[in-house]
Amino acid sequence: MAERREYYQNEDDEVEEDEEDSGGDYKISGRDSLVFLVDASKEMFIKGEDGEPSNFDMTMQCVRSVYTSKIISSDKDLVALVFYGTEQSKNPRNSFKHVYVYHDLDSPGSQCILDIDKLLGEKGAQFAEKTMGSGETSLGDALWCCSNLYSDIKLRLSHKRLMIFTCRDEHHGGDGAKDRQARTKAADLKETGVVIDLMHLTKPGGFDVSLFFCDIVSPPEDESELGLQIEPCRKLEDLQKRVRAKELKKRSQSRLTFSLGEGVNLAVGVYVLARTATKPSAVKLHRDTNEPVRTKTRYFHAHNGGILLPNDMKRAQVYGKKQIVMEKDEVDEIKKFDDPGLVLMGFKPMDRLKLHHHIRPALFIYPEEEQISGSSCMFTALLLNCSEKNLFALCRYIPRRNTPPRFVALVPQREELDQSQTQATPPGFHVIFLPFADDIRTVDAHVGPTASDEQVDKMKEIVHKLRFKYKSDAFENPVLQQHYRNLEALALNMLEPEPIEDLTMPKVQMMDARLGPLAQEFKDLVYPPDYNPEGKPAAKRKTAESGGGAAEKKAKVEMSEEELKNHVAKCTLGKLTVPVLKDACKQFGIRTTGTKKQELIDALTMHLSK
Amino acid sequence: KARGSSALVLCMDVGFSMSNSEPGQEPSFEQAKKVIQKFVQRQVFAENKDEVGLVLFGTDGTKNGLAEDGQYENITVHRRLMMPDFELLEEIESKLQPGGQQADWLDALVVCMDLLQEETMGKKFERLNIVLLTDLNVQTSADQLDVIIDSLKKARITLQFFLPFPVDGEDRADGGGDGPGPSAAPVRPGKGLSRQQTQGLEMVKNIMTSLEEEDGLEEVYTFSDALQKLSIFKRIDRRPMAWPCHLTIGSSLTIRIVGYKAVTEEKVKKSWAIVEAQSHQRDDVKRETVYCLDDDNETEVQKDDTIQGFRYGSDIVPFSKVDEDQMKYKSDGKCFSVLGFTKQELIRRHQFMGSQVVKVFAARDDEHAAVALSALIRALDSLKMAAIVRYAYDRRSNPQVGAAFPCIKEKYECLLYVQLPFMEDLRQFTFPVLENNKKFKPSESQLSAVDALIDSMMLVEKDEDGESVDVFKVNHIPNPQFQRLFQCLHHRGVNPDDPLPPVEPWLKRDLERPQAVSARCQTPLQDVKTKFPLKVVVKKKEQKTSADVFGSSADEPDAKKVKVDEETEFNLAEIAKGNITSVGSVNPVRDFCTLIRQKTVSFDQACQQLTHRIEQLLGNRSPEYYMKSIACIQAFRDQSVSSGNAELFNSYMQSLKRSVPDRNLQELWDLLIQDALTLISKDEVDGSTFSKQDANQFLAFEQKEEVQAAPVQEDTGDVDDLVSVSCLFGCFNDKHIIYYICECNSDLQVY
Repeated sequence: MAERREYYQNEDDEVEEDEEDSGGDYKISGRDSLVFLVDASKEMFIKGEDGEPSNFDMTMQCVRSVYTSKIISSDKDLVALVFYGTEQSKNPRNSFKHVYVYHDLDSPGSQCILDIDKLLGEKGAQFAEKTMGSGETSLGDALWCCSNLYSDIKLRLSHKRLMIFTCRDEHHGGDGAKDRQARTKAADLKETGVVIDLMHLTKPGGFDVSLFFCDIVSPPEDESELGLQIEPCRKLEDLQKRVRAKELKKRSQSRLTFSLGEGVNLAVGVYVLARTATKPSAVKLHRDTNEPVRTKTRYFHAHNGGILLPNDMKRAQVYGKKQIVMEKDEVDEIKKFDDPGLVLMGFKPMDRLKLHHHIRPALFIYPEEEQISGSSCMFTALLLNCSEKNLFALCRYIPRRNTPPRFVALVPQREELDQSQTQATPPGFHVIFLPFADDIRTVDAHVGPTASDEQVDKMKEIVHKLRFKYKSDAFENPVLQQHYRNLEALALNMLEPEPIEDLTMPKVQMMDARLGPLAQEFKDLVYPPDYNPEGKPAAKRKTAESGGGAAEKKAKVEMSEEELKNHVAKCTLGKLTVPVLKDACKQFGIRTTGTKKQELIDALTMHLSK
Repeated sequence: KARGSSALVLCMDVGFSMSNSEPGQEPSFEQAKKVIQKFVQRQVFAENKDEVGLVLFGTDGTKNGLAEDGQYENITVHRRLMMPDFELLEEIESKLQPGGQQADWLDALVVCMDLLQEETMGKKFERLNIVLLTDLNVQTSADQLDVIIDSLKKARITLQFFLPFPVDGEDRADGGGDGPGPSAAPVRPGKGLSRQQTQGLEMVKNIMTSLEEEDGLEEVYTFSDALQKLSIFKRIDRRPMAWPCHLTIGSSLTIRIVGYKAVTEEKVKKSWAIVEAQSHQRDDVKRETVYCLDDDNETEVQKDDTIQGFRYGSDIVPFSKVDEDQMKYKSDGKCFSVLGFTKQELIRRHQFMGSQVVKVFAARDDEHAAVALSALIRALDSLKMAAIVRYAYDRRSNPQVGAAFPCIKEKYECLLYVQLPFMEDLRQFTFPVLENNKKFKPSESQLSAVDALIDSMMLVEKDEDGESVDVFKVNHIPNPQFQRLFQCLHHRGVNPDDPLPPVEPWLKRDLERPQAVSARCQTPLQDVKTKFPLKVVVKKKEQKTSADVFGSSADEPDAKKVKVDEETEFNLAEIAKGNITSVGSVNPVRDFCTLIRQKTVSFDQACQQLTHRIEQLLGNRSPEYYMKSIACIQAFRDQSVSSGNAELFNSYMQSLKRSVPDRNLQELWDLLIQDALTLISKDEVDGSTFSKQDANQFLAFEQKEEVQAAPVQEDTGDVDDLVSVSCLFGCFNDKHIIYYICECNSDLQVY
């Protein structure tokens, strides 16, 4: 857990031990495990039309991405890669034919990635042919072999998943005995808690799940879940998405009571759907051996050198020249207000939830039927009602013992599906943390002149040109990416790290191209020519003493004929801003056809040099 | 850039009339004293540079710079201008006593002015202030009034009055409903006021209005009002730092901006220092961190002999600090660059990241920047769009992607910047369907019950004018953590030997549902209660284990536990009234208990059958079977204890322990440790050959290593905390609990 926590560590290190990850649950339940069971039959190696990668290649890319993501985010999880339908056989006791255990269940490391890289692409196909080949298929044996992998593991496994990648909806060519054996073995696996998923790939003529695989895979989580994806994966992204959704076991951060008052309590699980991922902290190693080194921290008495036990120490703070001393227990007790849980205060319309009332990333709650039965029904009723009335629930939230309360807004979230009918947003309440009075700072607003409609309209054009569809998963963290690329390079003995694409950098050239002359036009509208926004605050411009406002500003810039003539004589009209020039035109009753700066200057010059 | 501090003299009337009160009412003296206490306390914890003096009048003695020839008698300068500290608080607590004299409050005011003038000479203060607390119940000579007002004006000294009664009858009615406070209902002006008080009140009005015109009277408070306001510790007041930067759109469009952190989670400023328990000296505690190898001897390694590495999956990659710095992502300094614009609705509120909201204004006094930014803000606002920007605070900090929303207020305009997630921050969890799930679908009547409940619990109400009023504004509530901390610090500071006080009632009330709402929702809540069956699911296993751990933590006698367990088993047996003749494999625990209870077979036989089943179960090395085995062992133990026969159990446990390495039952053993399933000791059954200590050590043999392997826990010092948390959630973290058990052991050994 430690590693995972580091990765998801809160940005703010001082944030107590507050934001512990899925914490408690993890240790008891042991480690997650995932077995990739990949069909290595000839059909898997057939390339798609137009040079599209073969199903095998696609699968390997997907497996590789899971491996790397496991390395980054949950390196204690166990992963195995097993091929079936091979010519060669390789498994622990070599008791199964045509089953090739490429990686035994273990936490993945750099070597695993290198191994998988060998199987990628055209060369990969050749390598696979050479080492494993394609031969007879017995899914039953393959499953049996996998169940042995599980039972050979000495660690306690919490979540066991097996994913079958294949493009054949029929495996044993009508051999009923083999089909039966596969079903039995699948049933055995499921009995021991293994969840079997089918990641079926495209097959000419369509993949018919009902032929064989419907009896192999695990039933869906609840009867209403769509269960089997009827459509096979055509694209790598689809496959990755599908694998990704299943690969990570969702785990609640904690389970709490949600009290509506008067003993009406339901149970909810609290989940973290977004948390700032940070670089894991470094591990200290011994210089000579690269062995990990542990740190021990001890407290001892400065005078007699004796080790100080927790009881020998107290806590103190100094205020008003006085040291105030408390026991450690008392320091904890001060933070205690109530037992952990959510307590409903009442409801408010959504528009009372202010955009700027944000202090922490949100959490998510979902009912826990296993704790208090009936929770789901009550929860659903609340969800539907709040969502219909466009309300949020205000609650007092104490996440754990000896933690002071905060108020949170429970914002209803109904389930949303994306085009491929996969869940895009789960049903439940988002838990939005609200600031206390102390968290809101007094900011002296800068008051300045406001923009005119013309200026705003020009900006609207700019905004329009640069619009895009924001997606929350569109940006990778360049700092993390670079860090892991560096590690990857060192671990895999690469000459230099693969370059990263920094998606957070503005695509300046593209933006400039899209804007065309708009940027300059806008600047002409708002900036005087001698104004350089990039320079240091040069000679301070006249401040809007009277409090500003567009109207006043306009009035101020009116110029006398004298001054304008002067500008014309010196050819310095260009230094004035467009609004000033426009006003000048109006002043002299000059009709202008265009609004371009040069047109205005020309018109004025014409008029004044007459 | 610290803001100017103020100098302030608290001037309190301690004359005998202050001690008078109607029966059942708190004397003015006590109220005024509390006001002063609260005020000073606030100042102490706010830790600003304000200086405070204390002048008392109506004292038996006289001690002030102006006293001469019987003038300015019974006025005592208790403390000259100083930063308030605990000494002052203690003095107020113990030495501030009612006096037996009366003194002219105008004279006292003059003494205060004199004090202020003398003490602030050569120092710079932004504000000079005198706070007068009196009941005005004394004869005053008004002849000097104009002179006094003049010199107050000249010295720019401001005044505040705190009186037992409101300055104005009508104000009272308006400001009514000021709930708590130990306040006695203040006397109505004009009614019950003495001649001196009426006259004094006129003078107060006179002074205040001549000093600050019509606003002057706002600086006259009642004691009870003040107490209520002062009971809230001053909120932590931080001036946001200006962050000047450039907003860029493409390569050529730049706007000069300044950002301010507007909302962020405020933390307690001070952390706790560790002091030695006896001496209370910080210097007596030395902290030492050593590095050691993960071998049996814990060989120590010098810090210089360590390098850093990072985990890459199962590997650790050595990666020196120098290399890391050279290879790491480099950001090119502070920026606020627009990446593009998007519809506001595509940015989900729940995906806000980070811990702050930044308000972005145009650079101060730059009207061109103001116009340019205003154009952007207004354009975004009318299109309902937001800017997606790359934000980097400075060269050293990591870049963020965030959204800048337009914000147009009556008085100003700005952008609101919030961080958004990176792909790596998001976790895609899929949850089972709720609303279309037949099992959980609420019925019409259930929905309408919830509907009624929601209606009764609205926190936004319409007032007489039809305006909706928020009755529960979280952003107006002071953070209870700080309030409670300062309350406890103050209490401990003044009474070092007292236990901590309970949470202040007003603070508790602030955290509760508003009373009106509570009352309104009673009936709908009852309706909901009857319409929704909510039942706590009892998980046998979990309960038992937590009971075990709690039990041992509270050092309860084990016997009690056993009894409870027996009862449950008994009930189970009652339910399953079948004819049980042997310990079956389906429910061995029940069978076993029934056999023992019904005495169908001998105790020895029952135990033998049970151990046979346990052995069978252990053949399947899988968690489910382990749980079952452990339940059996637990039952075996419980029944042995109640039958007073420890021998069979103890010998079985010993043989089981011996077989652990060969049969690879480490995991099972760990579970036994968790559940503290150890040998039966003499304390429990007389016939046992083991002492309690032996019994504990029986498991401890495995623990030693484990404890050493988990030194990190030692550092946190939060062990008990972790244990109970995990218990509450019914999940267990081996190491913590093992550590905890060890602690118990060591305790036992000590006593």
